[in-house]
Amino acid sequence: MSNFFPLKVIELENTTKDSVVVSFDVSQDLYETFDYKPGQYLTLRFNVKGEEVRRSYSLCSSPMLEEPLRIGVKRVKDGLVSNHINDQLKVGDTVNVMPPDGRFFVDIAKENYKTYYLFAAGSGITPILSILKSVLYTEEHSFVHMLFGNRNEESIMFKEELKKLQKAYPDRLLLKHTLSRPKSEWSDLWTSKKEKRHRKGRVDAACVKWFINEFPPYAQNAEYYICGPGTMIENTKKALQENDVPDNRIFTESFGTATTDDGSKGFDNARLVASLDGEIVKATIPEGKTLLRTLIEAGKEPPYSCEGGVCATCICKLKKGKVHMKNNLALDDKEVSQGYILSCQSVPLTPEVEIAYE
Amino acid sequence: MNMDKQQNWMHELPVAAYTSKEWFDMEMKHIFSKTWQFAGLVEDVPNPGDFISVQAGLNNIFIVKGRDHRLRAFHNMCRHRGTQLLRAVGKGKKAITCPYHDWTYDLEGKLISLPKQEEEFPELKKPLHECGLNLHEASVDIFKGMLFVHPDKDAPSIMDFFGSVVPYLGPHIVEELVEFQEKEGEPFYAKEINANWKIIVENYIDHYHLAHLHEGTLNMYDHAKAEFGWEGSHYWFYEPLVPDYLADVKNAAPYPLIDSVPMEKIGAYVPWLFPNIGITEGESTWSTFHAIPLTPDRTLVVIRTKVMNLSEWEFTKQYTKSAMSKVWQHYGNRGKYEGDASDPMASGDFMAEDVYACEQQQKSLQSPMFSVGAQAQRGEFAVAQFQRVVKEWIEKGKAHE
Ligand SMILES: Cc1cc2nc3c(=O)[nH]c(=O)nc-3n(C[C@H](O)[C@H](O)[C@H](O)COP(=O)(O)OP(=O)(O)OC[C@H]3O[C@@H](n4cnc5c(N)ncnc54)[C@H](O)[C@@H]3O)c2cc1C
Ligand code: FES
Ligand code: FES
Ligand SMILES: [Fe+2]
Repeated sequence: MSNFFPLKVIELENTTKDSVVVSFDVSQDLYETFDYKPGQYLTLRFNVKGEEVRRSYSLCSSPMLEEPLRIGVKRVKDGLVSNHINDQLKVGDTVNVMPPDGRFFVDIAKENYKTYYLFAAGSGITPILSILKSVLYTEEHSFVHMLFGNRNEESIMFKEELKKLQKAYPDRLLLKHTLSRPKSEWSDLWTSKKEKRHRKGRVDAACVKWFINEFPPYAQNAEYYICGPGTMIENTKKALQENDVPDNRIFTESFGTATTDDGSKGFDNARLVASLDGEIVKATIPEGKTLLRTLIEAGKEPPYSCEGGVCATCICKLKKGKVHMKNNLALDDKEVSQGYILSCQSVPLTPEVEIAYE
Repeated sequence: MNMDKQQNWMHELPVAAYTSKEWFDMEMKHIFSKTWQFAGLVEDVPNPGDFISVQAGLNNIFIVKGRDHRLRAFHNMCRHRGTQLLRAVGKGKKAITCPYHDWTYDLEGKLISLPKQEEEFPELKKPLHECGLNLHEASVDIFKGMLFVHPDKDAPSIMDFFGSVVPYLGPHIVEELVEFQEKEGEPFYAKEINANWKIIVENYIDHYHLAHLHEGTLNMYDHAKAEFGWEGSHYWFYEPLVPDYLADVKNAAPYPLIDSVPMEKIGAYVPWLFPNIGITEGESTWSTFHAIPLTPDRTLVVIRTKVMNLSEWEFTKQYTKSAMSKVWQHYGNRGKYEGDASDPMASGDFMAEDVYACEQQQKSLQSPMFSVGAQAQRGEFAVAQFQRVVKEWIEKGKAHE
């Protein structure tokens, strides 16, 4: 079902103190399987401290360029996998990886004439960088207006690569940095002539509004891509909506958030009936466990990848009972009202829960 | 039979294409309502809430800017009983209300309110914007500082249409220039000409006439060194300045030189973008030449001209230098015929010469004796090619009917 392929790590590079860029080798016979669109992610499987865990990482390489598959992993405080990757991974290691997936991507076409607004903060740069490179390299008529937020000048991932892109595409790439806690008065090394220094502050409503007012689109088919931590996505999206940007032009990717336990407690030892791969599975849901974890612990192989309520790989339909989703960043209201749930985020609220994977 | 054909034909099109209502209607439908149509200059819609409306073939379309500074285009037609919503230009709109019964739309074209909804339209139960009564969307884009609209909301990208001709356009950075207006809000030139729109296009792209009709007015350009051709449906043209003019161009140019054009690229770039917008990209001016068909034998020509963004003083200085330059003792000031300046052929004004020639040609199309006698193989190559392009669009349109 979930198909993992062993990929070899061929390069590790620290672009900042607390992040690492991992390059994978893809053998000829897997080229097609690992073909991707800029913006998509890989799901990696590890065994850390005796538990099988999966995490998704956006590809920061571009499928349009001759470069290996590459991800950028930033340490999360006390994070299991991000620290494992930063501390333990070595060149030559093999990692089990699922083929690229994800709904956050750009359909690149040479003849496109678009203005891409890219909003990134922190490690949210990864899918944005892939989009950025692919557009500049392939769509010779399109423009990119990018706003990149970071804590300070030292925490900026891909600083050098971005600098090079600015030099190579001065007429089509407009890049502005904003730093929430700049360490020093910054030199003008890498903002354009007109604007001497970076902006101070976060990627918030005021900043987004300033940005779209200051840099109107030239090509009128404008699209807006957002990726970043915490409330950055929500804030940016809201600011865009308040400035008349229609929803169908806004695309977002969330990496998940610090779990927000809103106190609603699940029903202890509820019964689970799940139809999965043509089989009816019955199990008891241990206290605090999600439907997905219950199935995994019962030795089954339900589909999943991010386990963070983001990717919707674990989607299933609720046939009976009620659940609480701890985090839902993947399903819209319509899907929820049709009874779809994310099994990786669902805890039971009724003594019996029946679900079906389709 | 053969004779017959020759007598009623231009190079590639029947004479009826230049005189009949039937052809005019076909062109409106299959060409002007299916292509990207010139709608003005980017600065015409400067701020959020500003709008303009334009006739584009059979469609009246308005362009409005959102607070995101992106332009949107809609058919300027109320979804109730069709009333035209917006007048020519305006500012600061937050919503669009139809004058007739006050149906109101937001800047995304969504119907947001209508009077007496519950009493009069009980069948409209869903939220108004889901009732299938939103404004019809159109497309708008910017190409080289110009606005273009297309009646189809999923129109092919404007670069699909114009992209191939881009390498042949002048290096002018149009956005840096400002419009030259003698009277605020009025174009440099606007005139109704008594000729079919294609006669005017054919005159614009006719290399053969330059050295003859304009022998005394456009001789500062080196017609013998002209280069021209077609890309897609579009014509491109370039010719350098004559050596005498080039040598003294800094003084002789009538307006300050456009600084985005490097010296080695200076000249006249005069493309025709299908179907009805020409650009004249020169050493000191940059102009759009919009030929708007009114009837089979009447066309409105509107020329808008842009120049360097400099003070009046700089223009005065240049004017003085130009007036003193010896170049104009030999070039560009003389009519073809001697006579009173009110005679177009003696005016020394190349536009007047062109208008005159176009109107004289149109008159003869009525004659039973009319025929195109022969075609200059290089100098009139473009004229025949343009007619083929027109024919292709009409045939393609009819095939899809
Ligand atoms: C589609 C997708 C693409 C992603 N792309 C990237 C990428 O390109 N680069 C990258 O570094 N990460 C990316 N992530 C995030 C990544 O998958 C992991 O969630 C992250 O590395 C943390 O995992 P962990 O095992 O280290 O932390 P965990 O052990 O799972 O969590 C430790 C603590 O951190 C919190 N936490 C977990 N994730 C986050 C988060 N994103 N922000 C804030 N707090 C968090 C948890 O709630 C917990 O309290 C992506 C996630 C998704 C869903
Ligand atoms: S596994 Fe990604 S949302 Fe559940
Ligand atoms: S026609 Fe517009 S409101 Fe009636
Ligand atoms: Fe002429």
